[in-house]
Amino acid sequence: MASLPKRIIKETERLISDPVPGITAEPHDDNLRYFKVTIEGPAGSPYENGVFNLELFLPDDYPMEAPKVRFLTKIYHPNIDRLGRICLDVLKTNWSPALQIRTVLLSIQALLASPNPNDPLANDVAEDWIKNEQGAKNTAREWTQLHATKK
Amino acid sequence: MVEKKRFFKDELESSMETTKSFNTSFDNSKSFLFNPTQENIDSINDKDIDNNKNNNYSNNNNTSINIDTDSDEDDDIEIIQESQQSPKDIFTKGILDVVPDVDPKIISELFNTYKNTQDPLTNALSYYFENYQPSDGNSQKITYIPSSPIKLSPPKRKLSTLANFINESPNGSNPKVSSKKLKKPVMKWKRFIGALQVTAMATRPTMKPLTYGSKLKLVKQQLDIPTSKLYDSKGRQKKMMSSYVKIFDIQFNREIGKVPEDIARIIYPLLATDEVIFDTTLVFCDDKRLSIGDHFVLELDCYLTSILFQDESELLSSQSSQNLNHRINNNNNNNNNIPLHQSFKSNTPDKVEDMESKSRRVALLTLFKKLRLRPLQQKEEDLIKSQHIESAEQEDEDIIDLEDDENFDDIMSQSYENPEIDAPNYSTEESMNLNQLQTFYNSAQSNEALKNLPETNPPFELVKMTLRPYQKQGLTWMLRREHEYDKTDECENLEVDGDMMNPLWKQFKWPKNRSWNVNKLKEKSTDDTQTNNELFFYANLHTGDFSMEKPILKTMIKGGILSDEMGLGKTISALSLVLMAPFDSRVDEKKVFKTDTDSALNADSYRLTSKKPYASKTTLIIVPMSLLNQWHSEFNSINNCSKFRSEIYYGGNVSSLKTLLIKTKNPPTVILTTYGIVQNEWSKLFREGSNSDDAVMSSNGLFSLDFYRIIIDEGHTIRNRSTITSKSVMDLSSKCKWILTGTPIINRLDDLFSMVKFLKLEPWCNVSYWKTFVSNPFESKDFKQAFDVVNSIMQPVLLRRTKQMKNSDGEPLVELPPKEIIIKRLKLNKTQKAVYKYFLDIAENSVKIGLARGDLLKKYSTILVHILRLRQICCDVELLGTLDDNDEDIPRNSQMFASNTEIKRLIENTQNTTDEEFDEKEMTAIISSLKQKYPNLDSLKKQECSICTTEDINIDKMLLTECGHTFCENCLSEYIDYQKNKDKDAEIKCPLCRSSITRNKLFAPSFLESKDTVVITHYKDVAKSAKLAALVENLRQLQDSSSGEQVIVFSQFSSFLDILERDLGEAFGKDKAEIYKFDGRLSLKERSTVLKEFQEKDFSKQKILLLSLKAGGVGLNLTCASYAYMMDPWWSPSMEDQAIDRIHRIGQTNNVKVFRFIIEGSIEEKMLRIQERKRTIGEAMDADQEERRKRRIEEIKTLFE
Repeated sequence: MASLPKRIIKETERLISDPVPGITAEPHDDNLRYFKVTIEGPAGSPYENGVFNLELFLPDDYPMEAPKVRFLTKIYHPNIDRLGRICLDVLKTNWSPALQIRTVLLSIQALLASPNPNDPLANDVAEDWIKNEQGAKNTAREWTQLHATKK
Repeated sequence: MVEKKRFFKDELESSMETTKSFNTSFDNSKSFLFNPTQENIDSINDKDIDNNKNNNYSNNNNTSINIDTDSDEDDDIEIIQESQQSPKDIFTKGILDVVPDVDPKIISELFNTYKNTQDPLTNALSYYFENYQPSDGNSQKITYIPSSPIKLSPPKRKLSTLANFINESPNGSNPKVSSKKLKKPVMKWKRFIGALQVTAMATRPTMKPLTYGSKLKLVKQQLDIPTSKLYDSKGRQKKMMSSYVKIFDIQFNREIGKVPEDIARIIYPLLATDEVIFDTTLVFCDDKRLSIGDHFVLELDCYLTSILFQDESELLSSQSSQNLNHRINNNNNNNNNIPLHQSFKSNTPDKVEDMESKSRRVALLTLFKKLRLRPLQQKEEDLIKSQHIESAEQEDEDIIDLEDDENFDDIMSQSYENPEIDAPNYSTEESMNLNQLQTFYNSAQSNEALKNLPETNPPFELVKMTLRPYQKQGLTWMLRREHEYDKTDECENLEVDGDMMNPLWKQFKWPKNRSWNVNKLKEKSTDDTQTNNELFFYANLHTGDFSMEKPILKTMIKGGILSDEMGLGKTISALSLVLMAPFDSRVDEKKVFKTDTDSALNADSYRLTSKKPYASKTTLIIVPMSLLNQWHSEFNSINNCSKFRSEIYYGGNVSSLKTLLIKTKNPPTVILTTYGIVQNEWSKLFREGSNSDDAVMSSNGLFSLDFYRIIIDEGHTIRNRSTITSKSVMDLSSKCKWILTGTPIINRLDDLFSMVKFLKLEPWCNVSYWKTFVSNPFESKDFKQAFDVVNSIMQPVLLRRTKQMKNSDGEPLVELPPKEIIIKRLKLNKTQKAVYKYFLDIAENSVKIGLARGDLLKKYSTILVHILRLRQICCDVELLGTLDDNDEDIPRNSQMFASNTEIKRLIENTQNTTDEEFDEKEMTAIISSLKQKYPNLDSLKKQECSICTTEDINIDKMLLTECGHTFCENCLSEYIDYQKNKDKDAEIKCPLCRSSITRNKLFAPSFLESKDTVVITHYKDVAKSAKLAALVENLRQLQDSSSGEQVIVFSQFSSFLDILERDLGEAFGKDKAEIYKFDGRLSLKERSTVLKEFQEKDFSKQKILLLSLKAGGVGLNLTCASYAYMMDPWWSPSMEDQAIDRIHRIGQTNNVKVFRFIIEGSIEEKMLRIQERKRTIGEAMDADQEERRKRRIEEIKTLFE
């Protein structure tokens, strides 16, 4: 789409002026539909103290279509695969135009806090999570330290 | 060389000239046709006159005019005169024939030296050339004489005997022949062009066998046979010519036999002249005495003589086309050897002359063919030249290009054709394919000189704006074309025209001499031994003209075609020209004369123009109606001189143009008018009045005047010369003529003819010339010839620059911001789909029946209606039933609307058969619950639409769901549509609470001010058409992202524009967008108001211009807008390009975005496909009717497959 719908501009302004704690989202200079996102690992989760980089893209049909979000930082999580793709209902079937970038990112943060190995995307991780939750969480912690530590 | 070129053109022109008083026209042409070389010519003339050398050719002719006016008696007078001449006079004349400007002292010196020799003239000449010429300081003058005949006149021992031989006439033959021959130019040389072996038949018995190698001669018998007896009215031969060409034995001077008919046909017309000499030798007679009917074999050595070429040299040395013209006329009367250009004119008063010249031409052609003498191709010429340099011996092989054979035949067949003027409307159309068009344009642009054109900067006191560099170059070119050299900034007068060879002429190589004398007698060749330096000669096989000089094409008309691509500023260029040269400066010198070019071959228009008063200070500009005001305002904006003004001429507003332009002290510089007005006046004058001449003279309008200059804008308007518009424009007269057009060719090569005719580019404006050299070769697929000719016609008079062209620094001429074309594929809404399906079935059915019966094309118009319906449905169902004036495809009175009621039913069905039945009770319940939630106006305020995040939705645009959530009307319906599109059966959920919603369970609140209450009603969705919805959506986004944009919406259905006007108005409201509509229904005044208002920038709201392409497709300048929406596809892609160029042109500073709305899977997509195919394979370039039919059927099939 040629011009940016008012809604996107509004959302972007709000994300910057009134940011969600633990989440940043900045539009790219060249493409205002492309956002650079960071999410801090929720306290109490194996991802605590990690800062995860994500990318978010608003397709032409947004808000009719959900935004596309992907982890850039490696993460050990049953609902996130090696490519960083996220299995989250609001990004897929449960998308509603009433949802926004802000709510989507909050949902992702919540997903980090409570992984759902019963609806996995990364099967091996999910298996590991179900069989040996503690071990899996340790691995997740290690990965977080390895890949998602603030430098 | 300059002069030579000019003379050649003169020759062409003179052929078209009607007779004119010699003296006056001579003066005129001297003073202005040859302006640039005035000095040169003057000096020559002066010298000639000073030395009393009136024997110079032109003057000779002058005298002969006086004598040879009509009858044969006059011939005798001249003969007597000549016979009275002293030997010295004859000698002097002979010398002057060859070297016109030789000093008389030298002549008498030569005469004294050589008078007692056997052949004083030849000896003297050779002596002269050996001794005088190189040391002659005035070599400049000699360039007027083609060098070839001079060089080719060596001291010939044989020449005199040959000449005697030729002049020897058989005893008892008509004395007229010999007397005539006396008058003829002296043959100075001959040159071998080939030999023929001819089997002749004896008509008289011989006593002894003829000896091998004995010399014979061909004699034309019974010369007084009127030509009309030989040819019928159509120029076909009636009688056997062989009866008139006899073979004589030279030794005994008695008849022996006759040549076969085919040879006789060649020889008979040529025998009367000395242009071609047939040297005849007996080679075989079986060594026995011949009885009547016996066969014997001759060798005919054919030579071209200087006389054939001399015409050309005379042309070159003569200094006035009028002079020449007279000479030609004069000579024609004498059945002399001057080529007759008139042969191409039909309705020449004297048919006999016509016939004779034609037979001569055909004879020459046939001879050339028999001798296998063929024109050279360009490459060969170079090749031969290089070969020749390497070794002069190597020219043994005649150049025989077999491939060229057809070409030659073409020329042959053309010249046999009856040059009648054709009916103006061609039944066969030959459209041009894109590649051909490309070729044409490329060659039109290839003129490298273009880049080096100097720039002319119009002075600020005249032109208020700075032109772009290429416009300045264009201005130089235009001024040059009008011969306003002093106005250009350059100091010297450069020639604009290149040295294109006239395409009518062909180049020939002199063959090696293999004549009898050379081969058998081992005699030293008499002709080409010393003259080998001339490799080529040139012949115009269409007219029978010959030349040793390369004939250079020249144009003499003032004006031309400015064919810069759209958006390069043709208007500005033309107006700058007008301001730079506002009036005929030559008239100011109180010397009123007219151009020769005005005197067209068309006798009528000549008569008319000649009588009209000359509005020497006024330029008439004819433009399409929609551009009238634009031109007017452009003139005012660039004109910086208070003296100059422009006026619009509506026909009625000026009582007498004649008075205004001729009698007023300061007449308007520019008269602006439209094609319609020209056509109107013309119709009044020429249709009603039986005596059109008087009507013209007594009228006061456009046709009563001879303008200084006429400029026609969008000149392709006149491309069809059978239209009244075209005819009427042709009849206007002026001294300079300009055509402005971005697209000189719309679809046929013949489109150019109208322009050529308007410009009076001679000889091409003669339709038979054009047909012969352009249309016919093109139709017979000889594209190369057609394009060569067109190119050489157009190159000097056409200037075309494109946006892509680079200037000399390699920079593009125009830097336009990028343009992006976005095709938006849309889906029909439910109603549209149903109606579309309904009509598609009908259409397909009718095509099927048509195909089965084979009468598809008979139903073509019906099918067009079907197609039209489908296209309309793609736009909006509402369009059905409107008959649109602006859509050309529509045949009137279509019976389509018998099914009107059915359509209504269909539409209602689709709108009412909603997803679920809606219970009345349930509805009341929902409404009351919603009322509880939103009891008053305040409760409906500050509501946010979660889809577009608009807060405080306008209550008129608000929708409530069953679950009580608020959304914008547009957002919600877009959401529902989007979900439905993704998955037809999907359950649609409220975006906020995910409870199920349906389209027919939506509610609209409204506020009744009178009762101060909120009313909530069931919302009925009247579905907008897909395109309208998409347009609204797009415009809304644009409003959101940048307000104050100006956008243009194109449609070809003006009723769709009406719908858009209404619905966009509803959708946006006055505060958000201002809507303007521009279509054919507006008056001139309304048009300019609309455009003016639209162009005013208003940052607070969007301005939308709904534009009908037919009304505003051409010329309009709408660069204030950078967004365009094309609501429907056109059949012709170039129409769409034209439309886009309204905004993508000079002056545009923003990136241009064009959205094309196309309905997916509909006829529109198929139209796109056909457009694409039209672009690539070219549309029906074959004139073949059958093929076109097939293609049409193919197209229809594509549409319905």
